[in-house]
Amino acid sequence: MSIFTIDEVRKTFTNGEVKEEILKGVNLSLQEGEVTALTGASGSGKSTLLTIAAGLQFASDGQVIFEGENLTAMKPAHVRKIRAGKFGFVFQFAHLVPFLTVEEQLLLMLDVSGSKLNKQERKREIDKMLKLVEMDHRKIAYPTSLSGGEKQRVAIARAIIHQPKILFADEPTASLDSKRSKDVTALIRDLTRKLNIAALVVTHDEEMLSFADKIIKMSDGQIVQKI
Amino acid sequence: MNMAWKEMKRNKGRFLILGSIVFLVSFLTFMISGLANGLSEDNAGLIKDLPEGHFYMTKEANKTYNLSRIDNNTQNDIFAKHRNAFALSIQMGFLNNHDGKQQSVAFVTSTQSKWFQHVKKGEVILDRSVEDNGIKIGDTLTNKQSGGKLVVKGFVHHSKYSHAPVAYINMDDYKEMFRTSDMQLMYIPGEAKAPTFTGLQAFSKDQFLNTIASYKAEQMSLNMIIWFLIVISGMLFAIFFHMMNVQKMGLYGILKAIGVKTSSLFRMMWTQMAVITVIALVLSIALSEVFNHLAPKGVPFQLTFEITFQLSIVFLIIGFIGSTLSGLQIKKVQPLQAIQQGEM
Repeated sequence: MSIFTIDEVRKTFTNGEVKEEILKGVNLSLQEGEVTALTGASGSGKSTLLTIAAGLQFASDGQVIFEGENLTAMKPAHVRKIRAGKFGFVFQFAHLVPFLTVEEQLLLMLDVSGSKLNKQERKREIDKMLKLVEMDHRKIAYPTSLSGGEKQRVAIARAIIHQPKILFADEPTASLDSKRSKDVTALIRDLTRKLNIAALVVTHDEEMLSFADKIIKMSDGQIVQKI
Repeated sequence: MNMAWKEMKRNKGRFLILGSIVFLVSFLTFMISGLANGLSEDNAGLIKDLPEGHFYMTKEANKTYNLSRIDNNTQNDIFAKHRNAFALSIQMGFLNNHDGKQQSVAFVTSTQSKWFQHVKKGEVILDRSVEDNGIKIGDTLTNKQSGGKLVVKGFVHHSKYSHAPVAYINMDDYKEMFRTSDMQLMYIPGEAKAPTFTGLQAFSKDQFLNTIASYKAEQMSLNMIIWFLIVISGMLFAIFFHMMNVQKMGLYGILKAIGVKTSSLFRMMWTQMAVITVIALVLSIALSEVFNHLAPKGVPFQLTFEITFQLSIVFLIIGFIGSTLSGLQIKKVQPLQAIQQGEM
């Protein structure tokens, strides 16, 4: 079932007198429990599309519909609220908060999302999530003592601890070696299915593409192929 | 979750350095304020302890009370209209004990008033500080200027003028010593608006204090140092948080991306500023109090609760302004930029 629709989205940047159209009317929909991979050459517009879909920047034209509401027409505070409660993010680098332990990273996300869970329920949920990403043995560790793969696992746990509807991931394996890349890819796919989340992943990684349920290839601001 | 506290716990060294500097600056400010207040009491305690009201001196005196001469007729005119008014004169001079040892004093005499001491002719009441020089009740002191003798009838606390102990004398003795029947000043307590009198110029208490040259110069220099230190502490906060924020721009961007409110990031910074300032202030107040008790008797140190409280509030406000100014960068951080940057 489609829970997220991108409808005729365009993005134009103005540089002096030159107007550059980065997205030229893109249409896309995401299904629950599915990983959709966005791929394409550098500059094809895939990262711009992801950030517009995630409410991190506005489209010049078109609609981004989530749960019946158009994100592009909302006030920034409303978009922030949706980002905090309904979206999860994984970036190329883990971007963990350096002064928080692994479990505190997840606790922060529960706070930010406005979770109604009480203290004990939060603890249980965090333990469960860390077990799921196989990081339960490092829950009191700080990011400086984690490896790249471990950091990315924690980042994934942080992205889904509040049970978002959509997971946005921008090159989540780009900073990892092939072994860790494979682990993280499998983890995203498994969690997406297990938690019935729709995932939109920007990637160049062949491994990641092989795990995706749907592959969308972009070129010059347009979708050129859907697999 | 209290992110502010977690960051401080994790980066103890960094915050300890800022806290130490704020502590030193605030301690220095409290010390100088204590000295400024002590010197102010030492210089003009006699005037400062009077209730709110207005001083009068002749216009010809040109704001120099020593040159003011208010005759009996003018005094009587004022007494007729303002029953609680009184006339007073202050003159610096010396008293010698039986060994010939000289004691610098400020001779003060006044018409009937409840705020000044009154003695019979040939008697004197002195500020208690003269006891340190061996002067006791019953001693006979000599004024070499007039050759008159004054018997010590008692002592009072905190009655100083121009860094000298006050000597309350009878008006007849005063007239004899300084060969004048006029008084220098009139004082009308309690009037919000100064009544006007022909030939006289009115001064509020603060205005009058500022006509005392040594008082003005002393207090201005010390207050300048105090405000300079307060501004430095504000700048310290601004610079420290600016540097911290520059380092954390990426982090703020990511936090914004995952949905953290900008106001939460500001609250985090304000909490850190408040914790550092409060701890630094508590320590510096405690240390100032210790100094207050241990300071040698000759050091005019007086730090009141009122001054401590006011300065603490000023420090908190300055810290708030400093950190907020530096925090304006947080508002500008775009999540997108942070995501496109590398690992923090």
